[in-house]
Formats: sequence, structure tokens, C-alpha cells
Amino acid sequence: MSVLVNKKSKILVQGITGAQASFHIQRALKYGTNIVAGVAPNKNETSYLGLPLFGTVKEAKEKTGANASIIFVPANYAKSAILEAIQAQLELVVVITSGIPVRDMMEIKHELLNSSTVLIGPNTPGIITPDEAYMGIFPDNIHISGNIGIVSRSSTLTYEVVLEINKIGFGESTVVGLGDDFIIGTSFVEIIKKFNSDKKTKAIVLIGGIGGNYEMEAADFYAKLTKKKPTIALILDDPTPLSDNKGLAPEIICRGIISAADKKRILQEAGMIVVDNINALKSELLKL
Amino acid sequence: MNIHEYQAKKIFKQFGINVPSGLVAYTPTEAKLAAETVSEFGPWVVKAQIQAGSRDVGKFSDKRAGRKGGIRLSKTLDEVFDNADEMLENLLVTNQTGAKGRLVSRVYIEEYIKTIRKFYLGLVVDWVSASTFLLVAPVSDKDDDDIVKLAIESPETILKINLGLQKEIKTEQLAQIVSFMDIQIELSELKTFLNRMLKLFYTYDATLLEINPIGITKSGKIWALDAKIVFDENALYRHPEVRKLSDDSDIEERELIAAKFGFQYKELESGLGIIVNGDGLALNTINQAKDMGINTACFLNLKGGVDRDKISASIKLIMTNPRVDGIFINILGGFSRCNLIADGIITVADDLGLNIPLVARFEGTNKDEATDILKKSGLPLAIAEDTTHGLQLLKEAIAEDL
Repeated sequence: MSVLVNKKSKILVQGITGAQASFHIQRALKYGTNIVAGVAPNKNETSYLGLPLFGTVKEAKEKTGANASIIFVPANYAKSAILEAIQAQLELVVVITSGIPVRDMMEIKHELLNSSTVLIGPNTPGIITPDEAYMGIFPDNIHISGNIGIVSRSSTLTYEVVLEINKIGFGESTVVGLGDDFIIGTSFVEIIKKFNSDKKTKAIVLIGGIGGNYEMEAADFYAKLTKKKPTIALILDDPTPLSDNKGLAPEIICRGIISAADKKRILQEAGMIVVDNINALKSELLKL
Repeated sequence: MNIHEYQAKKIFKQFGINVPSGLVAYTPTEAKLAAETVSEFGPWVVKAQIQAGSRDVGKFSDKRAGRKGGIRLSKTLDEVFDNADEMLENLLVTNQTGAKGRLVSRVYIEEYIKTIRKFYLGLVVDWVSASTFLLVAPVSDKDDDDIVKLAIESPETILKINLGLQKEIKTEQLAQIVSFMDIQIELSELKTFLNRMLKLFYTYDATLLEINPIGITKSGKIWALDAKIVFDENALYRHPEVRKLSDDSDIEERELIAAKFGFQYKELESGLGIIVNGDGLALNTINQAKDMGINTACFLNLKGGVDRDKISASIKLIMTNPRVDGIFINILGGFSRCNLIADGIITVADDLGLNIPLVARFEGTNKDEATDILKKSGLPLAIAEDTTHGLQLLKEAIAEDL
């Protein structure tokens, strides 16, 4: 078992003809990912990279039975591509695109309220279930199949964690990158819920980001879970005071300031094991 | 992206929001002329234009400006001249500028509006709910309380109304504001004012719009006495006219160069210059270095879409920081293809001749190819296995250098 993505997932690629998309999709195909078609409006070709090419998500879904889509469409056009995927009622949409305007994400997020689509990202490395499939831009040669579920707000730090825990004999059930942007489609809560009921996952690793409200939601949710799998939260210390970080001003104004120290305390109170460096994370995993 | 107060007020005016009449001036003489134009008898307000808050209680670094701040009431034209003279070409230090302060290259001369009540009004995007929040807060006489400080110290004094994606204010929300602030005001006047703010906020893809303060006159008219707009950088392509308002003189040179390449660059103390391709990785590398007794001078986040030219640019940039005594390039796959990074390193090492130790660590896409390229180059570059190894190599190399 795994969460969100597996061998059976039938995946579309929106914006497949771009250079980055082509590069990463070829790697994903080689990995064994069941990518069934590309979507590229205004193209005359009927196939690309050996995959059938359709003009709309709706048509591609009807013809291929796809249930998921990965989006590489440039930021200027990402909103309509994402809304198209949501309106086609795909179960899972992974948005790799970075730099999507805040206002566009506000509209998308409100559209999601009336939909059952799970939107991962934007600005995410994606999701990988080792040895089965991946939707994303992961370095695929670093993952090993195993029983640790990883959910993260930080792309590159996730790679570092995977490399380090694999050195000591662990592997991953699924790795989910939530995305580094301020507004994200899916937060920790939904993924913890899925890992918690996934048979293969024995323990969960949560990797926090800078700024803290998504972690706070996770703490609330985890505290209330009756049967919970051991969860280790990796929270790095802030390099400079958060109040000096101008990018965080909106969050601080709306939700108050949550420093790394606050986050650690609150996640701990919720019942998670909290660490502030990767070596400590490894020791805690070995203790489980 | 931020703009100056006078630029923001011009936009406010286009949306029908009341702002005092004012003109920008670059010399004391211009300031005096501007004053004569905006109001016949005064008084006037002389305001230093820097893109940072708390100007009123800030201090100028050059003593000739006296102990007063960057916003000054002036009763005569001579006072306008003197105040402008003291502020211009001087560095203004406030709690938002850092110790060095910001250079005042222009002042804004405004007519003084006498008001009976002032308060803070803002619109901001809340990330978690992906909604617009309307903010209302009292203004203290000290005026050094920016909203972030207030949100940290006494959040209960801020009224926050979740507007969702609402483009117009609702009657019950107006009532909520009036009762929170305990003000006597025509609801229709407040409604028009807020709806215009919302229109501006949405039209220009703003992520933060602040009026600190708005002032209410005896006759019940509402004025925007200050104006701050923060634009969403990712949406600037929809507003080319706004991009032109960007004022580079406010930003530190290295940060500016970094921004032009789409990098994030931050200076800390002295020690390592760290080049990474992600926020979390930056934080982890800095923390791990600290645990090993190594300080960080600066870090540069390449973000996605790295190519040969960008990696060269980033190394060149880091090398202009005199507080850097070693460079650690820590790259973990993803969008960044390691072979391109290796190419970039060799180009710059050839160009500049590296005079400080450089250690590179690659992981992920095309790693082996990248390692090969660097090894074959014959340059004195060390390749590390992982973050710990890389930091260890640098610690030794720097110790030898000293």
C-alpha cells in the first residue's frame, strides 16, 4: 500500500511539451509510472513522447480513464489549467509550477472547497511511492521502498532527509511534498490522515517549513487522533528572528507569530516526537 | 514589491480614495516650491520617502538632522525648507531599516489635514484560508507600532474580518468596524472608502494594503494620511506600470543583483558563503554548520531552473562579499541538473581564479556526470559526499588558509 500515488494511478500531464516537463516525464516513464496521456491545447500533434496528446483534460480523462494529473504549465497559464483539472473531477492534481500569483491561488483554493479533488502544491517536488510511481521532479535514484511516510513543506530538505534515513536502513512508503508556497492546496492534516490509515506506513515524518500555521493545524489534528502512528516532526531553528522576515508579515498579522520554539512545543504537546536536526531524527527512528 | 508612499497615494487617488494633496521634492528648494503649490497657508507635513515603516520615530544618522524623525509638521515655508534640507541625502534609521538605515533621496510635501480620530486600516491575504482579511486597529500617539509589532504584542487590539473573496463590504461588517472602533461616522462614507480600497487591492494584485493611519475630520470625511501597497511579485507581469515604480536605491547592492537573477540572498555574519537550491536545505546547512562551530556569512538560494550562467553569477556574487572565507555549494537534485552546476563552477573558477576554498556537494539528477566534470577539470575544488562531509572539508580548508 501507499498513499495518493501507486502503480495503478493513471496519470495525465498538463503542459507536457515544455522542456522541464519533457525531461522529468521521460524519467518518470522509465521509472514505471503509469502516465497515460498528455494535455496540450493548441497543438497539432496527436502524440508526444509516445503518449497520446489531447486538447482538454476532459477529453483525455474520457479516452484514457485517467484519475490524476501533473501540471507543468507556466505560472501565467497555471490557474486555468488547474481549474480545468478540478472541473474534470480528477482525484489528484499535482502542481509543479512555481510563481503562481497569490490571487490565482486564492480563487483555486475556494474552488477546491466544493470539490473532492486533492490538490498538491503548487511549487512542490511532487509525490513518490518508491518502486511504483512518481508524479514530480524528484531525484528518483535516492528513494528506497520502505515503511516511513514523509510529508514535507520543504523540497530540498526532504531529499536530505531521505538520503540520511536510507543510509541507516530505512525506506519510504510514500513521500509527499506539500509545496513551498504560502498558499498550498493540501496541508499536513490530510496527508497525516492518509498515512495513519495506510497499512504499509509504520511511522510518519513531518518536515516543517518557515512560518508555522500549517504545522499548528497538524498539531490540532494529531492531538485529537485516537489511534495514531508514531510521528516525528523535524523543525529546524530559525536563522533570524521571524519578526524581521518581511515575507512572513501577512502570516504574523493574520495568525500571530509562531517561532520554531513555539512549533516544537505545540507539536510535542500534541504527541509527536520533535527533533531539530537530521541526526536526532535518525536516532528517534532507530528507537521506534 | 514595495513602492514609496507618494507613489501609492497617486494610485489611491486614481481609485477615488481621499489623500491630502502633495508633491515630491528632491531638493530643499523644490520642497519649498512644492509646499507653496499644495497649500497656500500651511501647515505642511514633510515626509521622508523610504520603503520602510516607523519613519516618524526614526532617527537620522547625520547629526545635522537633529533628534526629530522622518515625518515633520512644518508651520512655515522656511521650516519646510529646513526640514527637507536636514532629511535629504541623510540616512534614516527606523526599527524596520536595520542599523545602517536607508538613504532619503526624496521627500514628500503634503498639506496638513486636521482630524479628530485616527486609526489603522489594512487588507491582507491570509494564507491558511486563502482569503482577504480586513484589519482595523487603534493607532497610538507614538506611532511606532507597526501592525506586525502589534500583532505580536497585543493581537487582541486588532479587529480581523475574514472577507473571503468578497469584492464589496457588507453592512454587518461596517457595523462591526464602527462598534469596534467606537466611532461616529456615516456608514455610507465608510462603505465607499472600503469598497475603493478593495477595488484597488484586487485590481493591482496587492498582498498587503495599509493605511496607517486613516484620519476622520470633524465634518466626517475620511482621509488616507499614509499609504502602503505591497504587490505580489508573481503577478507583476499583469501590471507592467507598477514594475516601473520599483526603487532600487533602497536595496542593498548584493541583494539587488541576486533579485535580478531570481535568487534569494541573505547576509548573516562572517564565515561561509552557502549556495543551495531550497529554503529548507539552506536552514539545515546553516544549522549544521553552526553545530560544527562554523559561522555563516551569507546564503544564496538558487531556487528552481538553475543553469550554467546562474550558477556562475551566484558564485561571483558570493565572492564579492568580503566576509566570506569559504564557499559551500550544496545542491540536491530536483529541477537543478547537477552537470549544469558543475559547468558553472568551472566557468567561474577559470574566470576569476578562486582564492578561497570551495566545496561542492551534488545529489540527484545527473550526479555522476557532474562529479566527473569537476574531477577532470583539475581545479582545486573538493567534492563532498554529504552535507556533514562538505562542512568538515571546508572547516579544514579554512583553518589551513588562516
